[in-house]
Amino acid sequence: MRKSKRRLVIVYAGLFIFYAFLLLPIVWLVLSSFRNTDSIQSGRLLPYPSELTVTNYVEAFRIANLTTFLVNSFIIAITVMLLVVFIASLGAYALSRFRLRGRNIFMMLALTPQFFPYVLILIPFYVLMSNIGLVDSHLGLILTHTSITLPFALWMLTGYFSAIPRDFDQAALIDGCSRLGVLFRIIYPIAIPGMVVAGFFAFVVSWGDYLFVSILSQSPETQTLPIGLQTFMSSLQVKWGLITAGTVIAIVPTIVFFAIVQRRLVAGLTAGAVK
Amino acid sequence: MRAQEQNAGSLTQDPQGNFGARWKSFGQASFGYILLAPALIIILGLNLYPTISGVLTAFTNQSLLDPFNWAFVGFANFQKLFGDPVFRISLVHSLVLTGLAVSLQVVLGLILAHLLIEQVPGIQFFWSIGMIAWVLPIIASVVMFRFITLPNYGFINILLNDLGVGHLARNWFGDEKYAFVLILIMHLWRNVPFYAISFMAAMQAIPSDLYEAARIDGASTWRQFYHVTLPNLRYIILVMVVLHVTFTFNNFDFVYLSTGGGPVNSTEVLPTFIYKQAWNGYELGYASAGGVIMLIVLVVLAFGCRKFIGGFSEE
Repeated sequence: MRKSKRRLVIVYAGLFIFYAFLLLPIVWLVLSSFRNTDSIQSGRLLPYPSELTVTNYVEAFRIANLTTFLVNSFIIAITVMLLVVFIASLGAYALSRFRLRGRNIFMMLALTPQFFPYVLILIPFYVLMSNIGLVDSHLGLILTHTSITLPFALWMLTGYFSAIPRDFDQAALIDGCSRLGVLFRIIYPIAIPGMVVAGFFAFVVSWGDYLFVSILSQSPETQTLPIGLQTFMSSLQVKWGLITAGTVIAIVPTIVFFAIVQRRLVAGLTAGAVK
Repeated sequence: MRAQEQNAGSLTQDPQGNFGARWKSFGQASFGYILLAPALIIILGLNLYPTISGVLTAFTNQSLLDPFNWAFVGFANFQKLFGDPVFRISLVHSLVLTGLAVSLQVVLGLILAHLLIEQVPGIQFFWSIGMIAWVLPIIASVVMFRFITLPNYGFINILLNDLGVGHLARNWFGDEKYAFVLILIMHLWRNVPFYAISFMAAMQAIPSDLYEAARIDGASTWRQFYHVTLPNLRYIILVMVVLHVTFTFNNFDFVYLSTGGGPVNSTEVLPTFIYKQAWNGYELGYASAGGVIMLIVLVVLAFGCRKFIGGFSEE
């Protein structure tokens, strides 16, 4: 009994250290976004209640074009998410259910780009996109983010679909279901958790991408939140109230989405790799 | 990965001994290719083509100012690279950062996994929020870390002042000695919980009689860890290490957005070096050559990890 109490204390102390480090930057950011400028610059860790305000949020929207960046980020990330899950599910269905020549070679080839330096790929990408006139367009960014997230999503979903017994397909086929019908009516409902994680992965990568957007997008009409935040941060050096408010706005959608999928996330992310 | 593939392979094996069945399976296969076509086109066209094209660009003098007018220049870009002191220091920084970040992540991940696997009240809460840093856009993490390390009113300096050691306060990101450490810390902050939760999941799958047997043999906690836990985690450790060697070595955002490579190149890494050569210096060929070096180093590192981790736990 005594030993287990000691153990409990050690475990909580250890967890406290790790999680204080994990949560401190986030909590400090959120807290500061509700403080007025005087309070942030006061040199006190905690604000007085009277210093709490939402003006930073109002101002952030007014000054920083935040609405445009938000809309662009949503358009691109949601389209990428849907496109990736749909294309990957078709491909994963083919790879898990059909006898395809060269299947294993394709599976290997499909995953290799995941390990290539993006800064290298970006260069031909830019040349390609300017050739087909897609620089500074939503479509160009959507295609880019789709292509960088598709290999992983395809791998993950192939793993998921392969684990679904073929008996289900056979039964549905005998009942007169078409091949595509099997995918939509039998496999989709069973594989929903995997598809949500694949979609989440695509969303998070697209939502957070700075590298590709910084080159392929050249005007505020197509720029996304990471670019917005970066220009915000370098142009408003001292207005940390606004910068923190903008950052909170940028992370809320990911955190909400994360709250929905978190239970499945790690299992999903390592699904292609773990036995 | 291989096991998954074999598993998938066995599921696709149709019993087919006769000619008719072969025809039938051919008909199905062609539909399979149609389903695979969109993914195939995107992966070949937008992943493999740019990579191959990038490798070829490394042997040209292509410039961003006149991208359609270029010539092959052999290995000139590579010769220039190795004579460039900023490239050499970037390569060293990238290797040191990757080595330190990944090895610390494994150690800290193992420690945290051992805490998370304890059945204490409220542990679900710790599981559920563990991955939160991982899902955030990197620019947001950078804002957070710059904000807590601000010279005048950042959390760290205020705390140091309040604790009476105000002379330790400094402009952390602007300090040549600490900027690199901060970048390392941001990598740990983002990824350690991911390691921990994957390790924990793998630890839960280790049969408890292995530990019982070890205890009966009189093995201490440390020996149990070394002879039971570690060998059983070998595979997941390998997966996480390869994944994060790639992530850390390729990562551009953390450095570029927090320090831009400064102060005085003290945090310059290969991705930021290459990015600047291409988009600020307009030298696409030269930048691609840097990218090719990165690619080669990555391949070597990935195989090295496989050999090392596959090797030590087999003894």
